Amino acid sequence: MVLRLSGNRHRLRHRFFTLGAKPLPNKMYSVTRGQKTPSDQIIEVQSLTKKYGQTTVVDAITFGVGHGEIFSLLGPNGAGKTTTIKMLTTLALITSGKATVAGFDVAENPAAVRGCIGLVPQELTADNELNGMENLRLIAKIYHLPDDQARARSQEMLSLVDLESSSDKKVGTYSGGMRRRLQLAMGLIHSPKILFLDEPTLGLDIQTRSKLHEYIQRLNREQGLTIFMTTHYLEEAETLSDKIIIIDEGKVKETGSPSELKERRGSQILTLEVSDGSRDLTGFLQGVQDIAGVTTTVPGTYKMRVSKVENAIPLIVDEVTKRGLKIVDLSLTKPSLDQVFLEITGHSLRDSEGSTSQQRPQMPPESKK
Amino acid sequence: MPISDTLALTGRSLKKWIRNPATIMPALFISVFWLALFGSSFNPTNLIPSQVAGYTLIPATISAIKSQMLTQSFGGAPDYITYLVAGIVALVIITSLAFGGIDIVLDRQLGFLNQLLVAPISRSSIYFAGVWQNFVKAMVVGLLTFLIGLILPNGVQLGAGFSVLSLGGVFVVFGLIAFGLCSAFTAIAFSVKSIDSAVAIGNFLLFPLIFVSGAIFPSSSFPDWLKYPAEVNPVSKAAEAARLLIVNGNLSASQLSVFEGDLAYLLVFVLLITLLGLYVARRALAPR
Repeated sequence: MVLRLSGNRHRLRHRFFTLGAKPLPNKMYSVTRGQKTPSDQIIEVQSLTKKYGQTTVVDAITFGVGHGEIFSLLGPNGAGKTTTIKMLTTLALITSGKATVAGFDVAENPAAVRGCIGLVPQELTADNELNGMENLRLIAKIYHLPDDQARARSQEMLSLVDLESSSDKKVGTYSGGMRRRLQLAMGLIHSPKILFLDEPTLGLDIQTRSKLHEYIQRLNREQGLTIFMTTHYLEEAETLSDKIIIIDEGKVKETGSPSELKERRGSQILTLEVSDGSRDLTGFLQGVQDIAGVTTTVPGTYKMRVSKVENAIPLIVDEVTKRGLKIVDLSLTKPSLDQVFLEITGHSLRDSEGSTSQQRPQMPPESKK
Repeated sequence: MPISDTLALTGRSLKKWIRNPATIMPALFISVFWLALFGSSFNPTNLIPSQVAGYTLIPATISAIKSQMLTQSFGGAPDYITYLVAGIVALVIITSLAFGGIDIVLDRQLGFLNQLLVAPISRSSIYFAGVWQNFVKAMVVGLLTFLIGLILPNGVQLGAGFSVLSLGGVFVVFGLIAFGLCSAFTAIAFSVKSIDSAVAIGNFLLFPLIFVSGAIFPSSSFPDWLKYPAEVNPVSKAAEAARLLIVNGNLSASQLSVFEGDLAYLLVFVLLITLLGLYVARRALAPR
């Protein structure tokens, strides 16, 4: 049983860090066996482990998802993302550890968890032989919505994902993007508290992908829906998420907001151009503590990785002025999440896509850990 | 509400089936071929020789032998096709059930099953939806097969007292055997992961169920080692009970007791197999 105390708006406080940006619609209390335990986290996972025989697919991962957050589980194929979703959505048994979803223990009370969640799986499960409306009505029936409500809600969901005009066409005639959108509507028909999205934009073109991002953000913003998604698209995790967990080979490698991850891990790229190329600064730059990997291709232009910009820049400016040179250009490039991922896991996300992916250019060796 | 869940899911499957009527054609071809070819052409009473050891048999003798043969081995049916029709209805029903599992495996492979499993509906209702959808399909092709038997030239000759009540009785009998076997085949379909396995198991069970029974040919002519399995095969009981009604229409007291015995046997079979099927399917649907 879940007790909702309305009007108790407060700011989020996470176990790992404080986001503080998003006000919450409701504070949730979970009531278990007569005990009332206030919980700021709508999903709590402790040492969650999944073994298939001798193979450990998910290895003692721990994290929490706050109410109304968009949470991304990021990792290469085979990292254990889908298995984690399967455990949290009651589709796979937990080998060890504990997971609580919407206040209910997943292992002890799977039926209650099912009532609170929606799942948009990787597969397209809508029935080709039925039309969009029929598919939605079927799912609404399975979630025990009364007929009139099912009709209204199906209509509402179809308009949310812009499929109203195709609602009476067989799903078999839909494009990939339309099917994905219908799938999203199917996951939302019963107004879940948490929506699980497993690789929601896999194989979609850029327009459809950004359209889906838009829906996801709108649901989160307007309805306060908590969204738990897996992805191996870094840009996707970066654009959408309040919090990202990077997992690789079943283990949590890093947790944080996109900007925190970049700050914590990724050194920034500093480009410096001075007026006189004949006077070499390489020696000096290499000597600065927070600078690494100095390269120069054109005389007078230096590229380097900087971990603490606030320390490095005054030193550079001082030294350049002391030598009587002028700074022509000084620019900073923020690291991409891809670089962060590389630093964390020791391999590029795309390297691990395995046999299915075409050969991608390798990252330069000096940026490997 | 498990019943409304079952209805919703059964409705989905039947809606798809009705929209694609071509899927019923193969089953009807099978019926026509078996009834026309076997029932009319391979009629064993046509094989009575007209000459034995140099003596010519007069038509009255041939006719007497024929009649004795039909009474003794073919349950008193006026001809072979009338004997056979109950068996062919059973054959068509079992074929439909054996391959009906493909849809269930496809639902698993395409992820639809997971969509159901994350929903707050009982696992039993998922299983029973599978049972009902295949049961309805099998009964429809069964009924059509029976009608084909009636309208074929030189087709089935119903017993003199055959009434609506007898027709109802025939369908209760087929309904029981269909439901029992459907429970088994559906449980198997939920337990296997590939269409190949479902088809292989379907084929593997289809032949013994049909041929190790009195469905096509009287089991009295079977070798001894086959007689016992044919005797306990529920398909034999169903064919026997349906045939009693088809051939005789009104049942005599002794025929009625045989019929009741068969019916009781089928009821127990249905009950046991449905419970077993439910257990197997629930295990197959449980998370791993």
